[in-house]
Amino acid sequence: MTGLKIRSGMTRLVPYAFILPPMIYLMVFMFWPLGRQMYMSLTNTRIINPNRGRFVGLGNYERLFEDPAFYLSLKTTLVYAVLAVIFGVALGTISALAIDRPFKGRPIVRAILLFGWAVPNVAASLIWLWMYNDRSGVFNRLTEMLGVGRFGWLTSVDLALPSILATTVWQVAPFVMLVVLAALQSVPQEVREAARIDGADGLSTFRAVTLPHIRPAIQLAALLVCVWSIRRFDIIYLLTGGGPVGTTSTLVVKIRQTAFENHELGMASAYGAIGLVLALAVAAIHYAVEQRRMKWMGR
Amino acid sequence: MTMKTLTLKTLRYLLIGILVVMAGFPVYWMAATALSPNAELYGTGQRFLLQPQNIFGLVTELGQVPTGQWLFNTLLIAAGGTVLSLTLGSLAGYALSRFKFHGRGIVGFLLFMTQVVPEALILVPLYAMFITFGLLNSLTGLVLANVGFSLPVACFVLKGAMDAVPYEIEESAIIDNCPRFSVLTMIILPLIAPSIAAAAVISFFAGWNEFLFASTFLSDRANWPASVGLASFVGQYETPMSAVMGTALVFSVPAIVFFLLIQRKIVAGLTAGAVKG
Repeated sequence: MTGLKIRSGMTRLVPYAFILPPMIYLMVFMFWPLGRQMYMSLTNTRIINPNRGRFVGLGNYERLFEDPAFYLSLKTTLVYAVLAVIFGVALGTISALAIDRPFKGRPIVRAILLFGWAVPNVAASLIWLWMYNDRSGVFNRLTEMLGVGRFGWLTSVDLALPSILATTVWQVAPFVMLVVLAALQSVPQEVREAARIDGADGLSTFRAVTLPHIRPAIQLAALLVCVWSIRRFDIIYLLTGGGPVGTTSTLVVKIRQTAFENHELGMASAYGAIGLVLALAVAAIHYAVEQRRMKWMGR
Repeated sequence: MTMKTLTLKTLRYLLIGILVVMAGFPVYWMAATALSPNAELYGTGQRFLLQPQNIFGLVTELGQVPTGQWLFNTLLIAAGGTVLSLTLGSLAGYALSRFKFHGRGIVGFLLFMTQVVPEALILVPLYAMFITFGLLNSLTGLVLANVGFSLPVACFVLKGAMDAVPYEIEESAIIDNCPRFSVLTMIILPLIAPSIAAAAVISFFAGWNEFLFASTFLSDRANWPASVGLASFVGQYETPMSAVMGTALVFSVPAIVFFLLIQRKIVAGLTAGAVKG
């Protein structure tokens, strides 16, 4: 960070000439809509009169807190985000550890392991939709071959959320792998060797040297995956549309459904407000953890 | 080599093998489906091996789907978003990298916040706003909506790169009263070309990938990007699955290639933005 000496009154204004255009942009297309959304959640706006809703106070929230569907979507969002973090981080970290040391063909393996992350979300959803297909899907052909019969991967109440999670994990694990791999490759080799010479076996070297070194990277990846899961719309919407019986309707899916299928924009905004609180809570934790870490690292 | 290290080695390769199958199979299956005749897909069952001899059949089938038009729209949306987020992002990045000014902390926090706000949150108000300004069903409106989310990432990538440029390089130009804007465009930006490329690719593929806004704002079929076009196949059985997967493949390949080429930069950008607030 280079703070410059400011010489005169005119140059004092220079930074604002640079920062204003992007900030005005964000105000118009991000923060004004965000504020508008908070206000809308207090109105009975419907899609036929999107700009003239009547103020109804906390009416939408009262309805929300009486609606079992709301609690289901809140629970689904949390379960989805937490499990995506656990499985995504575990698989990503295992992948990173597996390909950390050089071997023949590593560039190709590494490239393949990144596929899930590189494929556009809509294309990924279609691939998995086809693999989950009831009649001709590859998963059902496999389970039939194994003699356990067919499953309604995306249509059964018990399997829909795990199936969506599998797709999500396929997509986020590569990102975790890259972040952890970057950290792993900065572990000083001498320290590892020194530990080994001192008689530490593989596992204790890992615990004493490697793990502390990659822990911040894992934490960061976990928080990002968490935020992305709260935000995620496309995969869920395309694979199940929020069904069966709402078991995969996260808050974000609920916003879109309430707004554009039930036409209740005010109510949708109330769902949005809860989503915002959730996202901000995660962001606040993230921010606090990062600030502490940066202090600890002396930056 | 002892027995123990040999076993460990075998286990490691086994693990890598499993991971490769798990990660690679869906993409392989997309290609295999695209190259299968439809009689097989819905009848006798899809074969596990690729059938490259069916490539001509696939090309004919792709002709029945407006893949070209969709990809062109996607390209316009992604390119428009890239130009706008690079322009705004380099201004913000320069301000954050070179100046201390009042409100700096707030700017950083607001940029950080946009990275956690779910797109769906501003969907409804943007929809209402776009009705008022006639931006509904227009690619311009869509680009304006998308850039809100790619701008902060571009800003953080560019700021990081600018931080690494020593101030002495621009000092003489400033002493000669060269306008600040020219300092940015003529001195700084050429020096950080690789990071500009990285920020461009990140913004480009954010637009390439986007689905929620596109599917809500663009009702006119002729405006659809590939993401919305592909999604329109869901639950619709007239379109041959091999054509659907062929389109998905054409849509995915550029993204896969670019992601593999500049993955390090993308990760650096995303994590830097997340960390530095």
